Amino acid sequence: MENGYLNTKSNSLNVKTSEGTDPNQVKSRSKPELNKDGVTTVIYPVLFGVFILLLWQTQLLHKILGTDTFTLPLPGRIINIILGNIPEILKNVQATVIVAAGGLVLGSALGYLLGIVAMAFPQWGYGGISIASAFTAVPIVAIAPILNNLTKDFSDDPNARSMLAKTLVVMITCTVSMSINAYRGFTELKPYSLDLMKSYAASPMTVFLKLRMPNSLPYVFTALRVSVPTSIISALVSEYFAEYIIGVGRQIREGIVLAQYATAWAYIIVACAIGILMYAILLIAEGIILKDRRNR
Amino acid sequence: MNRVKRVLSSKQIVTFVWVIGLIMAWEIGATVVQQTKRTPEYVLPHIYQIIDSVFSPNLVNGSQTAAQIVLSNAAVTLVRAGIGFIIGSVIGFVLALLMNMFLPVEKIAFPYLMIIQMIPILGMAPIILAITKDIDKSRIVIAAILTFYPVATNTLAGFKAVEKEKLELMYSLAAKKADVYKKLFIPSSIPYFFTGLKISAPMAITASILVDTLQGGGGLGCMLSQSLKHAMSIYVFWQIVFFSAIIGILSFYLMSAIEKLVSPYKKVGR
Repeated sequence: MENGYLNTKSNSLNVKTSEGTDPNQVKSRSKPELNKDGVTTVIYPVLFGVFILLLWQTQLLHKILGTDTFTLPLPGRIINIILGNIPEILKNVQATVIVAAGGLVLGSALGYLLGIVAMAFPQWGYGGISIASAFTAVPIVAIAPILNNLTKDFSDDPNARSMLAKTLVVMITCTVSMSINAYRGFTELKPYSLDLMKSYAASPMTVFLKLRMPNSLPYVFTALRVSVPTSIISALVSEYFAEYIIGVGRQIREGIVLAQYATAWAYIIVACAIGILMYAILLIAEGIILKDRRNR
Repeated sequence: MNRVKRVLSSKQIVTFVWVIGLIMAWEIGATVVQQTKRTPEYVLPHIYQIIDSVFSPNLVNGSQTAAQIVLSNAAVTLVRAGIGFIIGSVIGFVLALLMNMFLPVEKIAFPYLMIIQMIPILGMAPIILAITKDIDKSRIVIAAILTFYPVATNTLAGFKAVEKEKLELMYSLAAKKADVYKKLFIPSSIPYFFTGLKISAPMAITASILVDTLQGGGGLGCMLSQSLKHAMSIYVFWQIVFFSAIIGILSFYLMSAIEKLVSPYKKVGR
């Protein structure tokens, strides 16, 4: 009897949060109207994209920007270059993605741990986090060379030590947003939930595992939405400064230095694709994980 | 006793202790590095060495001291970053306004605003330099691009967050569209607008420094890479690192201060 009451109560609480945080809910509710509106929602942006592509292909865009087809090659040429150099491009993509994803995972894990530490010692921990948040304003450009110098003695293989330096840069840029959001996820609990736990005489460990950790999940995804694009940007920028010449970012720069603008453009398109793909993976993962949570 | 406790647990003391702790950690690291590496000043110099170099009267490149180099080049970089930042925030605000006024504009621009967030714009810096062919222009353009989309998305969120009741009240008063915007939409979007500015201000500075490293001809980033390539004292590099960190943090607080001046009674509800 008591259990049943509690279950329904917690269910209703869950429903409330899912409505509050999830934009999909709103979309699905307005689906009948989407049929009228939905067509234009898709068609307008697509038309705009086609319009720009047409301008580009007919070289009107070049006249507007005041450039030539050498610096801004036609779309067909760029696609040809991508298709013609797939193995080479994949090698660089691999290097960049390993750095970005590795740094993202390490940084987020570290940030989550820092969030736990800050939660355990709120008074000092929160001060530490607010100082750390000031460090997000430090430009990546300044961090990358320092880490390059720091990791010089790590290995004799320039590829390995550049990899470490780049991963560390990405890690640093991803840690802070995760620690801030994890801390908020641990502490911004539903009203009375902590009191309920207390009334059960739950140990701090149980409170953490059953209440704080599940509560922090949506916050983790909020942090990831910020850090996924950041991780790619910092991976690209740290490649500029790295010792070993590899990676999509570095190839963009090399393409410019050698005046092979078409190659540079090909790598820019690839970089954009990586960014969009990683973000899409994140959104799908978020949809699956948070949906499970809602149904529970 | 209680009073001592309260003072000890105040926010300033916590921050102060953290800063002291960080400095100590740095110094311990620097001491270790000094004993183990051949060129410690390239890896991790002592903080006092860096501060010392700021005030040292020695000429680094023939005519300027290290601090003079940093400050004169900072002026070049920051002015461009500032111009780009202002242009970008104006464009971002106007775009958000247009998106809110005209539905087709919103439908066209919204997906592209979402996509541009996922694209590494900084990676495009070299190509923009190639198109504009001028380092000053490309600094401005990139800072403007990086500024415009956080401002646009946040301002648009501000417009969307206007309560329905207020809109209905405006409607029932038969207010003109211009009045609705002047009295309702724009004032209530201001806190969101500043959220966007706070995100993009450090980004604009980072971008500007990064563009400097691509080409010679002055600017913080240019000096940074020259100093790393042993063209001048390495302390120029360390000064630039600290300087850009401080400027990045200050730019955030500057936006907060301007926000307080513009709308002292409003708080961001998020």
